[in-house]
Amino acid sequence: MRVRLANIHKSFGHVEVVKGLDLEVEDGEFLVVLGASGSGKTTVLRMIAGLESVTSGRVLIGDRDVTDVLPKYRDVAMVFQSYALYPHMTVFANIAYPLVVRKRPKAEIQASVSDVARQVQLEPLLDRYPRQLSGGQRQRVALARAMIRRPAAFLMDEPLSNLDAKLRGYMRAELKHMQHELGITTIYVTHDQTEAMTLAHRVALLEKGVLQQLDTPTNMYNSPANLFVAGFIGSPPMNLLDGALVDGRFSTTAGSFATPSHASHTTAVAGVRPEDCRVTEVGRGNIVGEVYTTELMGDHTLVTCQVGGTTMIVKAEKTFNRRNGEAIGVDFADVAVHLFDKACGQRIG
Amino acid sequence: MTRGTDPRPLMRRLFEPRRLDTMAPAPRIFTYAVLGLWTLIVLFPIYWVLVTSFKIELQVDSGPYYLPFVDFQPTLDAWTFMLLQNNTLGPYLNSIVVALASTFLALLIGSLAAYALVRIRFQVKLAAVLTFIVLVIGVIVAVGALDVPWPAALVAAIVLLLLALNTYVRRFNAAVGNNDIEFWMISNRIMPPIVAVLPIYVMFQHLKLLDTQIALISTYTGVNLPIVVWLTRDFFAGIPLDLEESAEIDGASKFRVFFTIALPLVRSGLAATFLLVLILTWNEFLLALFLSNANAQTMPVLVAAQNTTRGPQWWYMSVLIVIMIAPVIAIAGLLQKHIARGLLVGAVKG
Amino acid sequence: MALAPTVAAQTTTRRTRDEWVDRNAGRMMVLPAVVILLAFAIFPLIISVYLSLSRFALEAGGFRLKFVGFYNFRRLLFGAQQYHFLGTLKPLNWPEWIGLGAFAILMLLWLGRYVATGFTALGFIGRLISAGLATGSVTLALATLPAGAYQGTLLTTYFYVLVGVTVQFLLGLGLALLCAQPIHGRYLFRVIFFIPLIVTPVGVAYMFRMLADMQKGPFAPLSSALGFGEWSWATQAWSARLMVLIGDTWQWTPFMFIVLLAAIESQPRDQLEAARMDGASSLQTFRDITWPAIAPIAATVVLVRLIEAFKIIDIPNVLTAGGPGLATESLTLHSFIAWRTQDLGGSAAVGYLLLFVSTITCVSFFTYVVRWTRRYQ
Repeated sequence: MRVRLANIHKSFGHVEVVKGLDLEVEDGEFLVVLGASGSGKTTVLRMIAGLESVTSGRVLIGDRDVTDVLPKYRDVAMVFQSYALYPHMTVFANIAYPLVVRKRPKAEIQASVSDVARQVQLEPLLDRYPRQLSGGQRQRVALARAMIRRPAAFLMDEPLSNLDAKLRGYMRAELKHMQHELGITTIYVTHDQTEAMTLAHRVALLEKGVLQQLDTPTNMYNSPANLFVAGFIGSPPMNLLDGALVDGRFSTTAGSFATPSHASHTTAVAGVRPEDCRVTEVGRGNIVGEVYTTELMGDHTLVTCQVGGTTMIVKAEKTFNRRNGEAIGVDFADVAVHLFDKACGQRIG
Repeated sequence: MTRGTDPRPLMRRLFEPRRLDTMAPAPRIFTYAVLGLWTLIVLFPIYWVLVTSFKIELQVDSGPYYLPFVDFQPTLDAWTFMLLQNNTLGPYLNSIVVALASTFLALLIGSLAAYALVRIRFQVKLAAVLTFIVLVIGVIVAVGALDVPWPAALVAAIVLLLLALNTYVRRFNAAVGNNDIEFWMISNRIMPPIVAVLPIYVMFQHLKLLDTQIALISTYTGVNLPIVVWLTRDFFAGIPLDLEESAEIDGASKFRVFFTIALPLVRSGLAATFLLVLILTWNEFLLALFLSNANAQTMPVLVAAQNTTRGPQWWYMSVLIVIMIAPVIAIAGLLQKHIARGLLVGAVKG
Repeated sequence: MALAPTVAAQTTTRRTRDEWVDRNAGRMMVLPAVVILLAFAIFPLIISVYLSLSRFALEAGGFRLKFVGFYNFRRLLFGAQQYHFLGTLKPLNWPEWIGLGAFAILMLLWLGRYVATGFTALGFIGRLISAGLATGSVTLALATLPAGAYQGTLLTTYFYVLVGVTVQFLLGLGLALLCAQPIHGRYLFRVIFFIPLIVTPVGVAYMFRMLADMQKGPFAPLSSALGFGEWSWATQAWSARLMVLIGDTWQWTPFMFIVLLAAIESQPRDQLEAARMDGASSLQTFRDITWPAIAPIAATVVLVRLIEAFKIIDIPNVLTAGGPGLATESLTLHSFIAWRTQDLGGSAAVGYLLLFVSTITCVSFFTYVVRWTRRYQ
């Protein structure tokens, strides 16, 4: 079912944490709400769930205005960051709880729990207690408990952040597969951009309660809407150079180069991704600088270069062997340059 | 922040909250009613005592009067009598001195022991403990039943203990550890004071310390040690080891670490424990009854004695009760949050 | 030149002394507490044993203690003081025998279950003792509670402990649950409800004597309107006991309230929210989330209160002086009265019986209830 947030504001006392958010999630879509801590992303999720009240604005699930409706009538299910499993109940009882509370007949409960347990591969563990399970297993129990009701939407609050890196990767793939199978609208909150990029159909990036960009991962990567998005998405982050833009030519203290735009801006920022840059001889690149440090990452080398008054990171081949302090040039294609206005951060070209 | 009218049916409107952080009308009325009723139950007896302290005999005997200046004329007669003519100040001072001194001592000794039990590993040989117990019993029997002079019995016991420690005790390895020692200290709380009071009474009689503040202070310290150990133990267990270890590496002795690092870190827990023990000691009756007479009498004993010396002269007794309650209410009211947290910590670890 | 070695020698001695202090710091820290506990707890305890096994007599120039073995205990349990300690027993009629039999069978089943699952000698002996005390108490209750029999101090103390702690717990839990709701003035309620704890018990006793005065107290108009204006609660056994219980409850309910409120406020919020989202009602939330979360703390706070409740003396002493007759006399009061009548041996014996009963009950409660509530941690 579609989920829509219309001009949502939320304040805690005098502090406004969500400022005028408009969001529309399509039926069956996997939307990731991405942001650093304090960005308001968890608050947004909790407002959709009904765990927080809305200061102004409306929340719609399907065609129903649920802004003033209690969580249990909204037909949404939530997976908490800490899983929120009931420690004194078996896995079976935990998963069955939403149905038990609604007083469904025993046979129906039995069938539903078995079905869901099979889907998340928890069948052999139904008699265990949460304290006997590993982190990944507990997470699957939380997932099963959310799935059993076939809600209109799943709400997930950083469900993978308590897992170790290897397990996280595995569960990411499982989650994506499962969501695709079930086709239920999912709103997923995280601070990890890798999760956002890999899982989402679309990403909503929040900063200090304001929506920065709502787009597919590809678009957010390839054409970030403002400086914040440009610096947040991508690892290692995009290189940003201050300078002036005159008739499409960008000039900094370290050099000047052409850009795809024809505009003029007195204070502008040019962004180039590390993988779009190459290290060359001093005279041949767009920019001059010197090597600050190199880090071998296995299949490539990250070269941090001192350029003008700032640093740039370049992705070089794994056989890169220049020394610290060597003068080098950094080269990149014109079309790889992103341009932003320095004052307001908006994209120019 | 209601948005428009409530579209739900009547029963849901009454019993189901509109939003998660509010209460529905019916439960809310019930809650305030019950809490209000209990507030009345708590405050009324105290109000009654306060009001009675401003009455004279006639007003008490001729039936209940509830409101000063409205039902009856309040007077300060009872107050002037109890504070100026009657010897109230003596016991009051005794109570203050005894309570403060014994609480402070109990806190010092108890927290020191609790800290050691948390940070230092003890292994006391079980054989040594058993031998010790046997020897103590032996001394008591010898002095009590066999009329052996007690210095001789004591010396003999010490010699035997040292002998034992160097011979067979070495052979057995079974030992009691930190947990056992803690349990022993804390389990002393189960013992009803009445069991210990008689021998303590006799001991102070021999030492000619009956009816002195010292007797009361030392006894209360002993009685309150288990609580102090029980509560402060968890506070010390909760502070991170790193701070103390880095201080020790820098050369501080264990005592210095305790006084300059550990103790300040558990300030609020200590405050809660201090208050709790202070209140317990301030109100303690049985031990004071046995161990004090005219000189070291504390307030609870004085209050109880009104029963016999004056019969039910409520107006005088009310004055005593009010001056007993007032300071403790003032302190505890300001710091009840600390006490709640202290009790909770103790209850969680048990 | 001669100074240097002396200085060096001095610093070395100081260093070795510091080292010795540090090495024995642990023992030095614990020593004061151990000594004090030995002097004021263990020593007296052992001497009391001796006292309870002897008979005290005043004689010229002092007193004499004669060793009499278990005479004092025999007197309390079977002899001249039985009416005081156990009560005036009456023979059981057959429904009471059946009730007793049923209870005994329950105990045997409980023991049997233990033997079948995880048997250890120490555990079995412990359970045997607990079951023995429980069965004995039930027998005593059946023999002294019905009309025509009188209860002794043991049963009276049990009444104060068991009924009192139960009422205080239920009241405290109810108040805590209400106070944990989203209401205004929660802090104010907490401060006010805390007050009864800090009033001296002797003061509480007088307060309630004043309040319960049906002729001159504040409820006099009410009682005369309802027709019992001339009745004095202090002249009947059960009304007197009830009054002691009321005073005790007024004083100790706040203790349960404060700890339980703190426990309720620290229950896991995410489980609460998950249950709310799943649609659980308030009752279901309490049963499935709140109660399991606070059960360990509730059990511990009840245990603490149990330990203290056995020692009750202030209120019965001042409110009713143990009367009418011995109706409100607690075990501590019994021991105190014996002391006042120069019966030191009897006093110590009563004290020791109180210690036994109290210890067995509290340790049993800890082992079977408190441990059980912690089984999920």
